[in-house]
Amino acid sequence: MAVLMTDTRRDLEIRRYPLLVYALAPLAALVLQAWLPRVLGRFAWFDLPLVITVYFALGRRNPIQGAVMGCVLGLFEDALTHHAIGINGVAKTVVGFLAASLGVRIDVENSMIRVILIFLLSLLSSGLVIFVNRFLLGLTLSTNWLVEVYAAVGNSAIALVTFPFLDRLQVRD
Amino acid sequence: MESFFVRYRNLLVLLALLAAQIVGLAMQVHQSDTGQMSLDPRDSGGVRLIRLWAYAVVAPPERLMHACGAGLSGLWTNYIDLRNARTQNQELQQTIDRLRLEQAALLEDARQGQRLQELLGFQEKYIYKTVAAQVIGTSGNEQSHVLVIDKGRNAGLEHDMAVITADGIVGKVRDVFPYSAQILLINDQTSGAGVILESTRVRGVLRGNAAGQPVIVGLIADSRIQPGERVLTAGGDEIFPRGLPVGVVDKVVRDPDQDGFIRVLVKPAAHLNRLDEVLVITSTQPRFPPDQSADMATSEAEKGAEVEQQLDEAQKKAAEIMAERLPGLLEPNVPADQQPLNDSSNPTPVAHPPMPLHPDRFTPGTTDQNGLPVPGAQTAPATNDNSAPAKPADSNGNPPPQRER
Repeated sequence: MAVLMTDTRRDLEIRRYPLLVYALAPLAALVLQAWLPRVLGRFAWFDLPLVITVYFALGRRNPIQGAVMGCVLGLFEDALTHHAIGINGVAKTVVGFLAASLGVRIDVENSMIRVILIFLLSLLSSGLVIFVNRFLLGLTLSTNWLVEVYAAVGNSAIALVTFPFLDRLQVRD
Repeated sequence: MESFFVRYRNLLVLLALLAAQIVGLAMQVHQSDTGQMSLDPRDSGGVRLIRLWAYAVVAPPERLMHACGAGLSGLWTNYIDLRNARTQNQELQQTIDRLRLEQAALLEDARQGQRLQELLGFQEKYIYKTVAAQVIGTSGNEQSHVLVIDKGRNAGLEHDMAVITADGIVGKVRDVFPYSAQILLINDQTSGAGVILESTRVRGVLRGNAAGQPVIVGLIADSRIQPGERVLTAGGDEIFPRGLPVGVVDKVVRDPDQDGFIRVLVKPAAHLNRLDEVLVITSTQPRFPPDQSADMATSEAEKGAEVEQQLDEAQKKAAEIMAERLPGLLEPNVPADQQPLNDSSNPTPVAHPPMPLHPDRFTPGTTDQNGLPVPGAQTAPATNDNSAPAKPADSNGNPPPQRER
């Protein structure tokens, strides 16, 4: 339990990044999310904007910033599809808010915790997308749950590589 | 009051963001006549603006990445990996020659079909003009089977234009931006295309399922539909011209929602997951396009020459067969003008058949080549003796010539 609690001064530090990282990391995530499925075909089981949202939300530990970043990236994702704009926006707003709220309470330096967290938040995001589609909008779109689980696993694997890389870009005092 | 906003600031911001997005979502859906909720196929002004901004941000880097990838790929395929290019070129040339002959053979059928369609008051639309486009991106969403291409309104693209490849249909243009366009693939759940099964002539509507595979829905159970049957566009949807390949029947399953109905899973002809180049049909006309007409003229000319050559060969072959079967009449090593049949100096002329006892108008020498009686060539009256019948003499008093057989 001691691992999970933020009982040290270092854990409560708010991470800061150069402005360029705030701009380029989400943009790269959006571009790669749209481009990589051309290369990988139907095996593109990941959601890079979600990974970036969770990373910055956990690092900044600010629920408002996490929610806004999730909202913007989700709306961008929706704009690239032919679906209604706001479906992913709602899901990622909630995910960003929750990730930032959890970042205040748990130790996010531990890689294992990060992986588990992103796996669960990916499933939550998929669940929210389905909820919005079916219950808020009344649309009859079928969903393959196995693909959603694969996507959650894919996000966790990408987080294992991406998070340490982004950690190196933060501004240290 | 101030402390309330400060204390619940995070939660209030979250609720405000969610509320704004939910209101926005509600404005994008509408209830259809059947009571089902659906998205507007055409975006409203605000939604379209957001999509335009998103594509303005994402499309340039995608185009750059695509150009880099295409450059590297081109370097390899155009300069390094050319080992079998010459052989492949020869094979392709042979294939073109063969296809030209096939095309010329089918041309007559096509023209006859056109004439019949004109008689029936129906005009088939042919693909008249296409625009080639590169695929530069996708939607990045498993639930949204959408492609982004590098051609847009400036290249003449419009909403609902058909998108195809050489293998088969791909989808239709959903949204058009100045320099890019969004293509809705046929394996998306919200797409729809009229199709027909080639041999059983069963018609249906093609759309995608959750797994991203095209399915023909709403078909009454029919045991004739078997895997492997070709699926073509039916042409009734005002988007895809008739007769374009869609794919082949992969599997026939029972419709879980409707008793007595089946769903036909289709394996698409075009590689929807690995598309690099597509053709957007920008114009259809009830006549063949100029380049295709020129190609068909070439095919016809080549076929004419081919037919003449085949006829010559056939005649030569017939003469050879005749020579083999009639060795006494034709000498193989003797020139044609010195053959026994044609040689006037031959001491043993060919024996002509005896004249008939009762010549009539069919008797050689009594009719011309058109079967009309020769003027003055009256049939001789029947005589009881066995002597030759009297022949009318010409103006010089010579007997009529005997026709060679």
